[in-house]
Amino acid sequence: MRAGIAAQALRAHRWAFVGPASTQLVAAVVLSATLTVQVSVDGAPELSEMLTAFALIAVYLTILLVGVTMNAAIAQQARDVALLRAVGATPGRIRRAVAVEAAVVAVPAGIAGYLLGLLAGWAWLGTLVDHGLAPAGARFTPEPLLLAPILGILVVTSTVGALIAAVRPARARPAIALADAATRRPRFTAVRLGLGLLLVAGGVTLSVSIADLAADAADDAALFVMLALCVGVGLLGPFVLRSAIAVGRPLLALAGGTGRLAADNVAVLSRALSGALVPLVLAVAFAAVKVAVHSTTTHVTGRTGPAAEAWLDYSGTAVYCLFAAVAAVNTLATVVVGRRRDLALLGLAGATRGRVLAVVVCEAGIVTVTGLVLAAGVAGVTLVPMVHTALGTWTPYVPPSTLAAGVLATAAVVAAGTVLPAALLTRRPPIGQVG
Amino acid sequence: MDDTPVVADGLGRRYGSRLWALREVSLAVPAGQFVAVMGATGSGKSTLLHCLAGLDRPTAGRVRLAGRDITRLREAALTRLRRDRAGFVFQSYNLLSTLTVARNVLLPARLGGPRVGPAALAAMLDAVGLGGLGDRPVGELSGGQRQRVAVARALITRPAVVFADEPTGALDPATGGQVLRLLRAAVERDGMTVVMVSHDPLAAAHSDRLLLLREGRLVGDTRTPDASSISALLAVAA
Ligand SMILES: Nc1ncnc2c1ncn2[C@@H]1O[C@H](COP(=O)(O)OP(=O)(O)O)[C@@H](O)[C@H]1O
Ligand SMILES: [Mg+2]
Repeated sequence: MRAGIAAQALRAHRWAFVGPASTQLVAAVVLSATLTVQVSVDGAPELSEMLTAFALIAVYLTILLVGVTMNAAIAQQARDVALLRAVGATPGRIRRAVAVEAAVVAVPAGIAGYLLGLLAGWAWLGTLVDHGLAPAGARFTPEPLLLAPILGILVVTSTVGALIAAVRPARARPAIALADAATRRPRFTAVRLGLGLLLVAGGVTLSVSIADLAADAADDAALFVMLALCVGVGLLGPFVLRSAIAVGRPLLALAGGTGRLAADNVAVLSRALSGALVPLVLAVAFAAVKVAVHSTTTHVTGRTGPAAEAWLDYSGTAVYCLFAAVAAVNTLATVVVGRRRDLALLGLAGATRGRVLAVVVCEAGIVTVTGLVLAAGVAGVTLVPMVHTALGTWTPYVPPSTLAAGVLATAAVVAAGTVLPAALLTRRPPIGQVG
Repeated sequence: MDDTPVVADGLGRRYGSRLWALREVSLAVPAGQFVAVMGATGSGKSTLLHCLAGLDRPTAGRVRLAGRDITRLREAALTRLRRDRAGFVFQSYNLLSTLTVARNVLLPARLGGPRVGPAALAAMLDAVGLGGLGDRPVGELSGGQRQRVAVARALITRPAVVFADEPTGALDPATGGQVLRLLRAAVERDGMTVVMVSHDPLAAAHSDRLLLLREGRLVGDTRTPDASSISALLAVAA
């Protein structure tokens, strides 16, 4: 295989691919379950239509989330890519190696996910029948042919996400690429800024313009509002994170050297962390919008929707949020794994393991707060026109206890992607990690 | 066709809109010469080496490498030229630490460069004092051993020219001396050309010719004197 040794060098960083592989596994489970159940309830047109919408959302999320995690994994390998370029790997060979690697990760994850998805779909169909949403006669019908489109979606998005990350390291002059990798200078190009602003502006415009649509159509379009805003936020991430640090610095200084170090680290990592902001903000905003639509309706009208329908709506949302949360944890963990050397160097410079972890906890705090603020913004932009049209109010309502639970859940997701891997990586003495 | 290994003509390099890191540098390095490039930190030594080696592109002037004008060469063609005709040793981060010694040495060949047989590989590992260590992951080696792996990788394709950026910068004097003697031996034995950046007069003393840079300009070009005279020259240049 022409990509041989370069692909082998990428593959040697096996930890770097745990994140993308598990995200792809979850993606395949979600796709396989929704599509199989959709096929199984053929006789119930209304439910079938709803499930088609579910499956479509799952496809969009897969494209975005698989792309983001794979992108983060390849971005962490910029140093090796630069070295390979210096000693003779052409840009084309790097791209081939990256594409091969991304595809190789996707195939087993896709097959395993498809099979697990059959199990999940079977259980799900049972619950749908129990809730009286699916006809009692609906029979679970696994469809082997579904494996092909699922694998296709995974392989293509995995490869595209990886290739986007490889554009610059593959094409850059090796001297520049090595310097980039060594300094990890956050690059914030005009293209990125322009694209980010365009998506955010597009999301806001779309949200305002769909306010007058019928509820069903508005619901579908609201997804695109959120996707546009989240990707936009991800593109603007380096700028957003550095602004967040500038604003929060006095507060962080209260934590002394630990806080300052955490602020500096987040600034340096701002580009890598932006990738993680996309799924994180998406998960939180998605949950917030769904919860707020139901709770605002109850709050304003004093009426609750039909329980079975609300259950379906909530369970679907829970699945997507879980999916996005898995992607967020994976992207964050990929970033942490990529900096194990830096963490070890902190240890060598005299920081105890507790101190190193305290720095990581501080960083997690910065990411959590930034993510929550952004998610509140995204949810607000999506919600306000929606509830204003439907209920005539400008202020969405969420019960305080739900809000608190959401904040805690977000912090837990961020901690699972940062503090947990850092704790695992710092278990061994630092000197072994530095070479 | 002129196949002088390295020729630069009016070379200049500017980073962003800052001052020129390299300015109006012209030089030619004939085959079989060991050149040392010296100067203060930030004087443009690495920038010069990168431009000469085709790892970076100059903002002004032209560069010829192994007889080919690389100034306008497309990236893929330039990469192939580097892979087949040039070798590199950097100060640090030279190797893919997850691969074995042998795989690192074979990288240029595996990336499509000149073929290397098992006998040639074994001979090269012996020559750099790494005989029998081919299957060890480089992550397990000492700094000096790693730098010898890097030298072996640079020499294995029998390139026309080897570029080295402070190859002994991270090594103790004894280990550094071994690495320099390896480069010197390649010049003597195979007529290889070496362009080496260093700020250590003892390292530079292994060379035939000394280039001095100051603020990006070439301010000295002489036969290499002994180490103490080099120190004196450096003091004057700074
Ligand atoms: N990638 C880069 N981006 C911006 N400036 C750089 C870059 N590399 C080097 N420079 C600047 O160019 C000048 C020369 O650097 P360099 O060639 O590395 O010096 P030397 O190797 O002699 O220490 C320095 O002022 C340095 O700050
Ligand atoms: Mg230098």
